[in-house]
Amino acid sequence: MNRYLSQYRENEEPILGWGFIVLFLLVWEFIPHVVTLPKGLALFFTTPYHIGAKLVEMSTSSEVAFHFYVSATEFVIGLGLSIAVALPVGLVMGRFNTLNAMFDPFVTAFNATPRLVFLPLVVLWFGFGIWSTVVIVFIGALFPLLINTYEGVKNIDRVLVNVVRSFGANEWQLMKIVVLPNSLPYIIAGLRLAIGRAILGVVVGEFFGSDQGIGYLMAAAAGNYIVDVVFAGLILFMAISLVMTMAVKKLEDRLSRWRPEQVKTF
Amino acid sequence: MEPYIRSTDITLTFTPKNRDAVTALKDFRIELNSGEFVSIVGPSGCGKSTFLNVLLGLLKPDKGEMEIGGKKITGPGVERAMVFQEFGLLPWRTVLANVELGPELKGESVASRRPRAQELINLVGLTGFEGHFPHELSGGMKQRVGLARALATDPEVLLMDEPFAALDAQTRDLMQAELLQIWDKHKKTVLFVTHSIEEAAYLSDRVIVMTKRPGRTKRIIKINLPRPRGYEMRLSPEFNDIKLDIWNNLKDELNARE
Ligand SMILES: Nc1ncnc2c1ncn2[C@@H]1O[C@H](COP(=O)(O)OP(=O)(O)O)[C@@H](O)[C@H]1O
Ligand SMILES: [Mg+2]
Repeated sequence: MNRYLSQYRENEEPILGWGFIVLFLLVWEFIPHVVTLPKGLALFFTTPYHIGAKLVEMSTSSEVAFHFYVSATEFVIGLGLSIAVALPVGLVMGRFNTLNAMFDPFVTAFNATPRLVFLPLVVLWFGFGIWSTVVIVFIGALFPLLINTYEGVKNIDRVLVNVVRSFGANEWQLMKIVVLPNSLPYIIAGLRLAIGRAILGVVVGEFFGSDQGIGYLMAAAAGNYIVDVVFAGLILFMAISLVMTMAVKKLEDRLSRWRPEQVKTF
Repeated sequence: MEPYIRSTDITLTFTPKNRDAVTALKDFRIELNSGEFVSIVGPSGCGKSTFLNVLLGLLKPDKGEMEIGGKKITGPGVERAMVFQEFGLLPWRTVLANVELGPELKGESVASRRPRAQELINLVGLTGFEGHFPHELSGGMKQRVGLARALATDPEVLLMDEPFAALDAQTRDLMQAELLQIWDKHKKTVLFVTHSIEEAAYLSDRVIVMTKRPGRTKRIIKINLPRPRGYEMRLSPEFNDIKLDIWNNLKDELNARE
């Protein structure tokens, strides 16, 4: 008995977290058995079992695999591009006031605009399909990364800069040895936001600007009242978000070994 | 003998954005002989750190020049290294990597810098802590790392900006004794900024008392106490006379606000 209790104590958080999900699914599954839903609602209602069955069915379909591949490609290219642009631009903006003065109004204006308003233009320029979505993903992920990187650079410890410069470091070495490591927590936080925005970009881009991808499948299914597929797509996106967030967390843990561990208090 | 380090009258004014300009140093001049241990005491805000940063090559004075070994200072150089007040350790680097910072920036290979870094870590008594991160060390240990790091490029001149101010009294006494040993053994020229009259008197060949801001030299006091100096020396009447002399010069400069 005591052993179970102590095991529970050790894993309290995941047990509670997963337990609640299981409970939620059970309640959902049993709703149609307990109450009679009104006709209009019943038509658009489904249960976890049906969604699960749909997911299994979809996972073996080569067509779905193709759409999944499209979505993943858009996500990876869009996010990759945004990282490749945001990091250097953010670092440089943070270090050089002139460049910051030039870019800042531009960044602020762009960032304050909802990304959806770019969609018609993007579709006109890049055509209906994968590249429009890539651009939407890129625009979405770029700004949180850029702004966070900039903030991280701005929050640099003056003393550390002096230390490294006193040993004769040039600007490039300064970046590598102080500025970048110092900004990493900010960059990681930015990355987490960027992943969310990138997934949102995939969905939005495919809903409105594409005829490929899981987002398109969902939109098409919803148009035909196939609720199982909509939910299956939703769960797929949720799962991907979760996996990506966990991957970032792992990365963060790896990169922050030097930081003090959270001290346990009463 | 020509002094090893000397300056013409140094003046430096900060002009921060949206604030009044502050003249930190006005016609401050200094001469240091090679191998000498000199301390600077002065009211806080009188420009001591500013001066160290000029000497380190991080700040350019508005007026005046500094020379070291006959060469004009125009930027940082390997013959100078600083031990910083708040340690200034890179938190994401281990003790070893922190100590290796200077040689690494000089482009030295791992093979040549590692044994020396290890030697210095041993010298400052941190053997076994090479893989620790700064947050895992006590204040005294952090400053030992700071000292080892400054020594790693084998500089002629050690600049120390209130290096022991953040340490408790016992650790401080210990570090002072160790610093004197290292100084004696490695024949460095040391310029040491401190708030503590006792510390200045105990360590130095000469003590420079600065005026309040804008800082200039008020008095230079020679400390003619024999070396090596033990802890008992601090209890002698001669030592107390010297402390009193420093205090008498300093007290008029201290601002009631500080
Ligand atoms: N970067 C800076 N910008 C503006 N003012 C500064 C700067 N650094 C120092 N000062 C001012 O110059 C004066 C001297 O500072 P400092 O040399 O740090 O004094 P201390 O003798 O206490 O080390 C202080 O009034 C301080 O506020
Ligand atoms: Mg100071």
